Amino acid sequence: MKKILLEYASMLAFTVTGLIFGLSFFLLFINFYHMEELAETVDIASYNDTNKASIEAKINQIKNNISVYEQSNYRGSLNIYGLNTVKSRLENCIEIIESDDMMKYFDLDQIGINDSYNFTIDFRNRILNDCLVMQVTSIINTDTVESLPNFSLIKPYIQIDLNNLLNSYNYVQNNIENSDHYYFTTETNKTNFFDLTEDSYTETMNNYQSALDLLVEISNWYRYTVIGG
Amino acid sequence: MKKIFNGLFYGLKFLLFVVAFGLTLFILIRMNMRLNKDFTSIISEFIPFVILLILFIVNLLFKQKNISKNLFYNLTCCLVLSTIIVVALRSLLDTNMVLNEKYGYGVDFNFFDNFIPYIKIMLYGLSIADILFMFREKDNDKIKDEKKV
Repeated sequence: MKKILLEYASMLAFTVTGLIFGLSFFLLFINFYHMEELAETVDIASYNDTNKASIEAKINQIKNNISVYEQSNYRGSLNIYGLNTVKSRLENCIEIIESDDMMKYFDLDQIGINDSYNFTIDFRNRILNDCLVMQVTSIINTDTVESLPNFSLIKPYIQIDLNNLLNSYNYVQNNIENSDHYYFTTETNKTNFFDLTEDSYTETMNNYQSALDLLVEISNWYRYTVIGG
Repeated sequence: MKKIFNGLFYGLKFLLFVVAFGLTLFILIRMNMRLNKDFTSIISEFIPFVILLILFIVNLLFKQKNISKNLFYNLTCCLVLSTIIVVALRSLLDTNMVLNEKYGYGVDFNFFDNFIPYIKIMLYGLSIADILFMFREKDNDKIKDEKKV
């Protein structure tokens, strides 16, 4: 009886060792695999060129639209305080967009997961917070701007776009932050890991373009308001 | 050939144990310093290391051949300790870890923290296997004694 129990103990010892061997083997190699995945770089040279051209065109359009108003030359009947506010706010936004902090991403030919993450964070801090929240929300909440023609028509659309854009980065940011945890790889995780760098960058770039589209729309309204008034 | 590998893994497991323990201690102490916690709160994390160390010392002192000549067990020990070292080094040095860069602590605590339960499972598993192999040792000794008689 004792001999059988000792045989079982030996068998159990080999079984436990085998299970631990399997677990550590799995964990060791999933670590190398995860390390490779995070070190992945994506070629975005042509994608960046296209987006840079598009953003520069939009910036020029905004500049042209707001250049129709100069306080010293203006002879119209509209509230100049309102017109000044919109112009200065849009100029502040352009300054932010043209800053090195944002433009540096368009010079990158290849990006890694950290570049993608930093782009999302800079987009959130510079474009969403400094431009949309600080400047565009200020336009909406200024009484002198409210009194300008047709502003009440575009205001609801600006607010809807603003809300959409302000919530747009959460998913991308959280998704990248979760990439540090691999747990057990499933097919879904695998797909996410593979596309994380590129998809996050693309998603943020799309939001960036949408933010600029919003500014273009405001500047278009501004142009027609100034010319009409 | 088997003897050479066994000797290699047997010696290596002590070296890897020291490195794995050192790195884990370093990371957990830094984590505690960051959180302003008392050192005693991390003692429980080291219990499996201490148990395994005691068993290794017992194996060494009593010259338990069934463990010292067990290639599979020694290989598994090396693999487990290597995994702990790789994870610790990754949480210290892998610059592609987003949270490591974000918080700038120099250690990716989130990543290492996820791995602590696995460390415990593997080290407790090795301890249990070691104890069970000791019974086998006794059994084999008795058989040898019976043969001599």
